[in-house]
Amino acid sequence: MSAASVLEVEELVKHFPVGRGLVGSSGTVHAVDGVSFELREGEMLGLVGESGSGKTTLANCVVRLLEPTSGSIRLHGRDITHLSRRELRPLRRSLHMVFQDPFSSLNPRMTVGEIVAEPLRLHRLAGRKTRESRVIETFERVGLGPEHRFRYPHELSGGQRQRVGLARSLILEPSVLVADEPVSALDVSVQASILNLLRDLQRDMGFSCLFITHDLATVEFLCDRIAVMYLGQLVEVASRDAIFRDPQHPYTQALLSAAVVPDPAEQRKRRRVVLEGDPPSPLAPPSGCRFHTRCPLHDLSAPQSDEVEPALREFAPDHLVACHLVAPGTPAPRISGVEASVA
Amino acid sequence: MSIVAQDVERPRVADSRRRLRVLGKRFLRRPMAVGGLLVVLAFVVVAIFAPLLAPFGVGHTDFNAVLAKPSSKHLLGTDDLGRDELSRLIWGTRASMQVGVLATLLAMVVAVPIGMLAGYYRGWVDHVIARLTDVLLAFPFLILAVGLAAILGPSLLNVTLALGIGSIPGFIRIARGETLALREADYVPAAVLNGANDATIIFRHILPNMTNTLIVQATVTIPGAILGEAILSFLNLGPQPPAVSWGTMLQEAEPYLTQAQRLAVYPGVAIILAVLAFNVLGDGLRDVLDPRTTR
Repeated sequence: MSAASVLEVEELVKHFPVGRGLVGSSGTVHAVDGVSFELREGEMLGLVGESGSGKTTLANCVVRLLEPTSGSIRLHGRDITHLSRRELRPLRRSLHMVFQDPFSSLNPRMTVGEIVAEPLRLHRLAGRKTRESRVIETFERVGLGPEHRFRYPHELSGGQRQRVGLARSLILEPSVLVADEPVSALDVSVQASILNLLRDLQRDMGFSCLFITHDLATVEFLCDRIAVMYLGQLVEVASRDAIFRDPQHPYTQALLSAAVVPDPAEQRKRRRVVLEGDPPSPLAPPSGCRFHTRCPLHDLSAPQSDEVEPALREFAPDHLVACHLVAPGTPAPRISGVEASVA
Repeated sequence: MSIVAQDVERPRVADSRRRLRVLGKRFLRRPMAVGGLLVVLAFVVVAIFAPLLAPFGVGHTDFNAVLAKPSSKHLLGTDDLGRDELSRLIWGTRASMQVGVLATLLAMVVAVPIGMLAGYYRGWVDHVIARLTDVLLAFPFLILAVGLAAILGPSLLNVTLALGIGSIPGFIRIARGETLALREADYVPAAVLNGANDATIIFRHILPNMTNTLIVQATVTIPGAILGEAILSFLNLGPQPPAVSWGTMLQEAEPYLTQAQRLAVYPGVAIILAVLAFNVLGDGLRDVLDPRTTR
């Protein structure tokens, strides 16, 4: 049914202690709280969630810029959860990341050619000559001319810089690429071209990609499967079509109702589910289901949802939902006024 | 389903030398800074070519002209031992510039790596270094330098050492602060993902990005050291005769203040000019190198 997984994340937890000083309250930010998923070979997995839901923390743990508090991360079956920087270094060849801000992710004192060649240089993978030709080749792949090599980042446009970031991430032909909101810092006019590029590159090179975004349209365009995150936990994981045609979790339903449909006539007919209040603080996440404080279906799920944390269970083949109202074969009630949008 | 759009942006036409040209233009728009640079360059040239420019050697005395007024032979007159004042001023330029530049270099070489370690590793490394820096900073710069020079003994080298050590804490603080700020840029985690070790990150990614700040700090530290040299020499902690610096000239002029004020005026003017020029140059560089500057 499913292809082999290249990356498996199990019960991943990342907590940040805060306010350890003499004054002020101390506590723990539950940034990521028990997240499990797998990234399959050659797929594009979209991770969506609003700001502060822990997407970026999750990404930073996956590429091991952060050490998880608990849980495990396996890359090609090898446990990398607690490896030291030195032990990780040889494994870095198969794992890279594209950053959100193309202005801060490129060293302003290096030419973009040097920036893209650095992974080759640090892994001692090629002599000077081969390095040069590999850089030119990779530049071509991401749509940059060989003459761009001698430019400095500040001489390039935002879109071109993000192409450089992609080139740096892909020059070693990694098997896993994490893209942390790679287009949200770009002009809308350029976003599409970068997304197209990413999709084409993935088809050509066959890497698996964890694509993090808060933009549903992007995810619908790009991803094979989608994982929806809320306050440090996954609430629903399913194929793109399943999520867009038949969202189960009330949060997913609400999220989809907020997305804009390209057809204005269609859009006018839709009703948005407006969630009340702000997401609760990750310093003190609610008991039971994390969504119960804002859930439009809370009347139906109480009191169970106030006390018991729902597990991520299989609702249909390859469709996981963490909601008390959903059981195998029993779909969630629709939130009134929301009809499924057709992908 | 496909979204089609082209990159409509064009690179701002440029090659790598363009930035330098822009900086040069900005610099030229600041007459004070340009003036400062010219004066500094003049002093540097005099310091380097002292043997060619000075009409007489360091220790040359002319007992036929003691405390002589300016004349065609001695353009600025002579001192109590008949030494040519112009020659002494030129040789003194060499000593004073040497102290200023070497003391600053010494401080940078020692302090920048320490400050970067503190800023990069943070934690207990930072705490230890920060406390030690605080201890050094607790002594006023001059008291520290006077104390060190007194312990080391009077000579040009020891003055340089004393002033260099006295300038270390300032550089540590600046290197630490810059490193703290720069390590937050995304190109640092990107380098980690590239497989870089700490040394690569520190030397290839962080250090090159703080050179502007270090240059500006150096232009402030050099005049401080020049002034410090003058003070230490005036206190007889500087180079000993026949060696000469602006500070020793001042000190030796002191007994003759009533008879020949010009002996004190020459080195005094030189010190003021040099200090002012470096400070003005530093101010200008700070403005020009600041990325937020648009003019």
